[in-house]
Amino acid sequence: MFGYIRPYKPRMEISDYELYKASYCGLCKELKKFGITSRMTLSYDFAFLLILYMAVNETEISLDKKACIAHPLKKREFVKSCDALTFTAAAECISVYHKLKDDISDDGFMKKAAAKTLLSGMKKPYKKAKKLLPELSSLTEEKMKLQKETEDKKTKSIDMAAEPTAAIMSAMAGGITDNPEKKRILMRMGYLLGRFIYLCDALDDMESDYKTGSYNPLLLQEEEYNPEKIRSLAKDSIYFTLGELSNAYVLLGDIKYKTITDNVIYMGLPFVAEKLLKGESITKGKKSSFLTEGNENYNE
Amino acid sequence: MSDPYRVLGVTPSSTDDEIREAYRNLAAKYHPDVQGQGPLSDIAETKMQELNEAYDRIMDIRRGGGKPSSEYTQQSHSGSSLFAEIRRQIQLGNLSIADDMLERIDTERDAEWSFLKGSVCYARGWLNDAYHFFSNAVRMAPDNAEYKAALSNMDNAKKGKMNGDNSPYGSDKGSLCGEGLCDTCQLLICADCCCECMGGDIIPFC
Repeated sequence: MFGYIRPYKPRMEISDYELYKASYCGLCKELKKFGITSRMTLSYDFAFLLILYMAVNETEISLDKKACIAHPLKKREFVKSCDALTFTAAAECISVYHKLKDDISDDGFMKKAAAKTLLSGMKKPYKKAKKLLPELSSLTEEKMKLQKETEDKKTKSIDMAAEPTAAIMSAMAGGITDNPEKKRILMRMGYLLGRFIYLCDALDDMESDYKTGSYNPLLLQEEEYNPEKIRSLAKDSIYFTLGELSNAYVLLGDIKYKTITDNVIYMGLPFVAEKLLKGESITKGKKSSFLTEGNENYNE
Repeated sequence: MSDPYRVLGVTPSSTDDEIREAYRNLAAKYHPDVQGQGPLSDIAETKMQELNEAYDRIMDIRRGGGKPSSEYTQQSHSGSSLFAEIRRQIQLGNLSIADDMLERIDTERDAEWSFLKGSVCYARGWLNDAYHFFSNAVRMAPDNAEYKAALSNMDNAKKGKMNGDNSPYGSDKGSLCGEGLCDTCQLLICADCCCECMGGDIIPFC
């Protein structure tokens, strides 16, 4: 949906990178079962959710190799359908559907139009996903309402503004396991990941929100618009979040695929944060749309 | 009880030093000074206990070998009974109840009040507010070790420190963006500093 949770490629083992890619491709294929539109909405964030699922549940994966729409000429490896994929794909559909619904109420004609088109295609996938994860779907709905209220009230508190996204991600990550202890750890991690995503998004959108006068809690922290000052405020919030995320993460102990999750948590997330804090966009210049987000970057 | 060697991630053939090292590494992750008063502190505590027990058992088996001084013991807290009750509610995870009780106090909003308010925020994941209240608590009672620990824990995070981080970047996350030449320079300067400490010098003018 946003694409701020990603691995740090320069420091990734090649085997890990291949597995990450295969997970991403597997997720794309799994989304096809939910509907064509849902496939176009895939982002990095959910690839990580998938890895986390496989890590905590010690999923033994099997790979297959096939060509696909996005890469018709070269066959690519992908993770074959499994519980982890079904869960992640459903969670994605739910999250994307609500995000699109939110976009419709947004300003900006183009964004609105794009969201409308995609949303009509997401109705079926959403229905299907809702059946699989009814609790997550109703919680997401409830938290999106809270988000709307937060925006309407022009809430100044960064903690409050991040709460809905964080709560949704918390429930999502909690759905990974039924083990009570691990569930608590994952819910905490999810909360903090959601908070991280929200903060990154607010940072990424800061300039455009300032220009259009849209709600952004970061802009409300200072009387006058001072990007440098705002960034340094955001930096503290982001690093509090990452520090606390790592405190929860170590409690998971030695999980499967730990080299991948370590890479994302200790390098991927800080890398994304540092880039945004320097005022660079993570999505290569232009603010990406749902159609292009994530996908193009992954095919290098 | 599970195999103590497994708990520590070592084998019976590991040396005492290796075991001590493994203990220290894991203790650094689970220690309450690091984990703080978060909603998972009980899990961290259990893990710490398991670790201590495993370490004791291995050392018993091997006879001798003192325990690293970092061993953790539960602290007890003093304070008014109302605050003690609020503490208990926070530990039970009843954050709304704890917060209601805190909000109803409007006379003695002292350091302890600020600390507990910070703890509620912290457990909720409202980290900006938590930092604000922990700072207040430390300002009002600069000598309280518990308040100081909570604040310094967040200060470390603020500097980019992450628990269990063995990546080559550690808390210098900024260098993730500029791998290459800049790193080399930093490395040289760093090496120079180290050399200078030892009496040598590899960059004479620096």
